[in-house]
Amino acid sequence: MRYKDRGEVHKDFHAATNMTIDYIVDNFGEDALAMLFRKMATDVYKSIHDKLKKGDASELIEHLKYYLDREKGEYEISENNGTIICEISKCPAVEHIIKSGLTLSPHFCRQTIEVNAGLCEGTPWKTKTELLGCGKCRQVFKLENQQ
Amino acid sequence: MIPSDHFVRFYNEVFKFLDKQSGDGLSKYWLAVSKLQENFCLENFQKDGLRGMYDYWNHIRIEENCDMTLKLNEDFLELIMHKCPSLSKVQDNDAEPCAKYCEHCVGWIGPIISKCNYYMVCDIHGRNVPTCHSWIFFEKIKAEQKKAELNNSDNTIFSNF
Repeated sequence: MRYKDRGEVHKDFHAATNMTIDYIVDNFGEDALAMLFRKMATDVYKSIHDKLKKGDASELIEHLKYYLDREKGEYEISENNGTIICEISKCPAVEHIIKSGLTLSPHFCRQTIEVNAGLCEGTPWKTKTELLGCGKCRQVFKLENQQ
Repeated sequence: MIPSDHFVRFYNEVFKFLDKQSGDGLSKYWLAVSKLQENFCLENFQKDGLRGMYDYWNHIRIEENCDMTLKLNEDFLELIMHKCPSLSKVQDNDAEPCAKYCEHCVGWIGPIISKCNYYMVCDIHGRNVPTCHSWIFFEKIKAEQKKAELNNSDNTIFSNF
């Protein structure tokens, strides 16, 4: 895995992401926000993206598990016949924003939707993120031409 | 979710985007960051002065895994960053670092320090070097003296005055 952080976790950075999302939408629009997240996916997460291009989702799965564990999220990941489902029942980022007494941006979950979409751009993978309520979502990655 | 560990790499993408826009996009954004950060530190800075600043950065030193020495003196606070975790991550990155990355620190903390009537001088050593040395003074004249002393070197100096 390209990035593997250790040591303390500074969850207040989720508050900075929350603020930044609103700032970009308010000043540049939702398309600019989507572009930023997609660029993050292809450039920062180049290693995951490159593997997905080859059909290999191993680093994506490792990344999701590693960071959700590190931030004490509640989730289940299943992998079956070219379909990966990551079901989040307690998003640590959403939880931290709410615990901090801050207002959750209505666009907060675009980070997940657009980063996932960016990771799958130009790859044989399709993705869909369904928002299931506060701090809950289902992220599906499906290898094309798989039943 | 972008992991909190990866926020600075997102921050770096935001900086590059804003730097390409017309006007002072980066400075305006850092002011917005500053307003958010007031929630976490302004009250303690105003109430406890240099001690409050020391306590805040000591907490940050631990939580952000900073290799940093803090020295609380009678009339100034010194922050000696031996290895900045933020710039280090931006450099350990498959995306290109923003050339102005280091400026964000003074960009957001400077306005808060100003609100508390303190004066900050920061020597960033170099834009590609994850070390820096900052001083926060109560007396402007001492901050000006420090700035003048540093301006005689080749280093890059930022301040909130």
